[in-house]
Amino acid sequence: MLALDLLFNGLIIGVFYSLMAIGLSLIFGILKVVNFAHGEFYMVGAYAYTLAAIMLGLSPWLALPFAFIIGAMVGLVVERLLMRPLYAGYASWGLMRDEYAVIITFGLSMLLINLVDKIVGPYAFKGPALIGVSRLYIGPIVISGHRLIAAITAVGVITVIMLVVRYSLWGRQIQAVAQNRFGASLAGINPAKASAVVFALAGGLAAMSGALLANIFNPTPDVGVFPAIKSYVIVVLGGMGSVPGGIIASLILGVLESFGSVYISYQYRDTFGLVILIIFLLFRPQGLFGQKSREV
Amino acid sequence: MRDFVDSRSRSKVELWASLGIFVVVAVIPAFVSNEYWLGVVIVSMYFALLAIGWNLLAGYTGQFSLAPATFGMLGAYTTGLLAYDLGSTARTGIPAAIIVAGAIGFVLARIVMRLRGPYLALTTLSFAEIVRLVISNSIEITRGDLGLNVPTFVEGRVTYYYLMLIVLLAVQLGLYILLRSPAGLYLRAIRDDEIAAACRGVNIVRWKTYAFTISAAISGLAGALYGHFAQLVSPELGLISQTGIIISMVVIGGLGTLVGPIGGAFLVYIASELLRDFGGYQLVVFALLVIIFGRFFREGLWGLLRAGFERVLARRVVQPVD
Amino acid sequence: MPCLSIEQIAISFGGLQAIAGVTFAIEHGELIGLVGPNGSGKTTLINILSGHLVPDTGRVMLEEQSVEHLRPEALAHLGVLRMFQLTRIFSRMSVIDNLMVAGCALGLTQREAEGRALDLLQDLSLMRLKNAEAGQLSGGQMKLLEFGSCFMVSPKIALLDEPFAAVHPTMKEIMANFIRRRHAAGQTFMLVSHDMPVIVELCPRTVCMNAGTVIADGPTRTVLSDPVVIEAYLGEAAA
Repeated sequence: MLALDLLFNGLIIGVFYSLMAIGLSLIFGILKVVNFAHGEFYMVGAYAYTLAAIMLGLSPWLALPFAFIIGAMVGLVVERLLMRPLYAGYASWGLMRDEYAVIITFGLSMLLINLVDKIVGPYAFKGPALIGVSRLYIGPIVISGHRLIAAITAVGVITVIMLVVRYSLWGRQIQAVAQNRFGASLAGINPAKASAVVFALAGGLAAMSGALLANIFNPTPDVGVFPAIKSYVIVVLGGMGSVPGGIIASLILGVLESFGSVYISYQYRDTFGLVILIIFLLFRPQGLFGQKSREV
Repeated sequence: MRDFVDSRSRSKVELWASLGIFVVVAVIPAFVSNEYWLGVVIVSMYFALLAIGWNLLAGYTGQFSLAPATFGMLGAYTTGLLAYDLGSTARTGIPAAIIVAGAIGFVLARIVMRLRGPYLALTTLSFAEIVRLVISNSIEITRGDLGLNVPTFVEGRVTYYYLMLIVLLAVQLGLYILLRSPAGLYLRAIRDDEIAAACRGVNIVRWKTYAFTISAAISGLAGALYGHFAQLVSPELGLISQTGIIISMVVIGGLGTLVGPIGGAFLVYIASELLRDFGGYQLVVFALLVIIFGRFFREGLWGLLRAGFERVLARRVVQPVD
Repeated sequence: MPCLSIEQIAISFGGLQAIAGVTFAIEHGELIGLVGPNGSGKTTLINILSGHLVPDTGRVMLEEQSVEHLRPEALAHLGVLRMFQLTRIFSRMSVIDNLMVAGCALGLTQREAEGRALDLLQDLSLMRLKNAEAGQLSGGQMKLLEFGSCFMVSPKIALLDEPFAAVHPTMKEIMANFIRRRHAAGQTFMLVSHDMPVIVELCPRTVCMNAGTVIADGPTRTVLSDPVVIEAYLGEAAA
């Protein structure tokens, strides 16, 4: 039945969205800035996965972690080179952290898009599927094999990440730094290392998202632009810095878009999220699960 | 310690520098008659206007909106639709574009009034995308991605060239006068510390609204002029990548200075056309420059030039009390 | 009619009662000190008086007018100017422009504001730094600048929140002299500080807060030797 089908597909898309949103949420939690180049981590992952499979002949199951690692490395490099001023308080930008973040990450986004465009060229690639079955029947629902397996993989990764962030030493350190950077440093935690870990994780997760979806959205230099915008919506909806909030919001958005594209408007399916974003930012900026912050 | 030239003199120097650029641009047609290259400079002037508008909002008032290209698009479509549906000329279309863009800018200002930093950026980004998608999808009204044909209103490219230059000059002078008045103090105070500005009596709501409205109006004017020049307007005018180009121009030229956006616009656009034949890496180079300037030279090329001058010229050295 | 009358002000934040029923009045021309241990609610009170917070209950009367619900801009125009505990200045503007903002925003013409600013810079020994970028000043100079901003247009009352904290003795002296001169000319002040010698020297009257209430209000020497006040600071009976 249509509604069930829409629900299921919406949840699946939501799962993919959440991979990107988790990373963005973590970055915001720890550095209090939005990463406008997040879509490009996705894009890098999509290309890494596809090119590894096509040019290096790797099996898709090996190309997947390969993409994660590439994404993590890019995240790490970006953090080391560009994100230090955000907490080291360099004199040139001083208090204007947000402005710095916007300019730097915008520039980074432009750089990555155009660099990949130049290096890889305009050839159209299609990411290989994880399994060859194109149609699976689960009860009344029809779904492509790749989509299902990719979603299951994603859920697995998300679960692992959630456990790591909540219970591991690294995860606890990240939470500490997110809550109180100075206090955490007094407790002996190295905030710079925590930031590095967060960026590597965010990069890897977004890259994995790109890789898993490479079969559905063919890799092009600007393939990451739309997913990025979706992830901004999710992060605000779920509450900036809240990982569980981001996951729930991803699922909500996925389902909303799925139903909305059929029952409201197919053309404007991308605007639902944006309108929600604006409404939340105006009336409930802390999202569904975030915390309200004080001013003076 | 930094230099101690007073801010009045500093802005005067910036004005003269921008006038210098205008003189150079004014003289170009005497040496270049190639229509294509004149067109390149005209498009640079379109970007210069957009850059000036964004610089007023972001560089002087600290509001990092991600929608400058959107207002250009709105202005272009205003004059385009008026021409397409009502057969009106630029004489109505351009003022209408200014008013419509300014009005929408006013509304946006009221919507984002309490937002800061990433929240402001995200809201304006969403606004930009929504507007673009609406224009792109309203095919019956706007012909969607096919774009609208806009009639020209001036005979000859050279005439258009000087028309744009005069508009640019007028806007720049207007801005100079505005920023020299107490308004300039208020806007920069809002940029540096909104809470402190309120405590000193600055009417935050009023001045932020003015900044958004004026910035939007200038962008609308730019878009309308561009529309009549290119004789075609399409939703591509409002792409986020266009905003990225505008931001790059301002950052490279010098954020928060009078001459930065103008210098940056001409430099980036003309250079990117010149380098087009050399393998097309220009966008990569500019993105890299944005990152490098953002990271190390907040005041852009103009800041570097000025720092160089001050090292050469004699200046007073003041010892702090402490 | 008092200059500022604080009547039964109370405010709480998510379960924490920051201020619980504070009442006192400040007459025109008074220079009163506000002391109390950390967390007693002094800065919260100033935030309420300057319009950054709206109290849950109670009223603040500025002469005849009830002002507890007004925004900071409105209060500034009515003559309530304040300093912040963590210095707030316009770091990318010049020192004199910092002062000009305060002057023009409160109604002076540019020429008047410039004249007033130059006088202030002279009084505060900051003239040599007139065109310096404010963000490049030392911490004490920044405090002095913020201090000066409160006096471009003589306020009805100046709320100074720890103006002497971490300030070089020379600058402390400049500020204290300035306060003394203006007080002699009739300026009303409320001075929050932990610097007891300065409070004793400058303020004839002192109010002491602890845990959100006023525990003492009277002549400074009396208040500072009050056993209740001493206990509040030291945590135990130490008299």
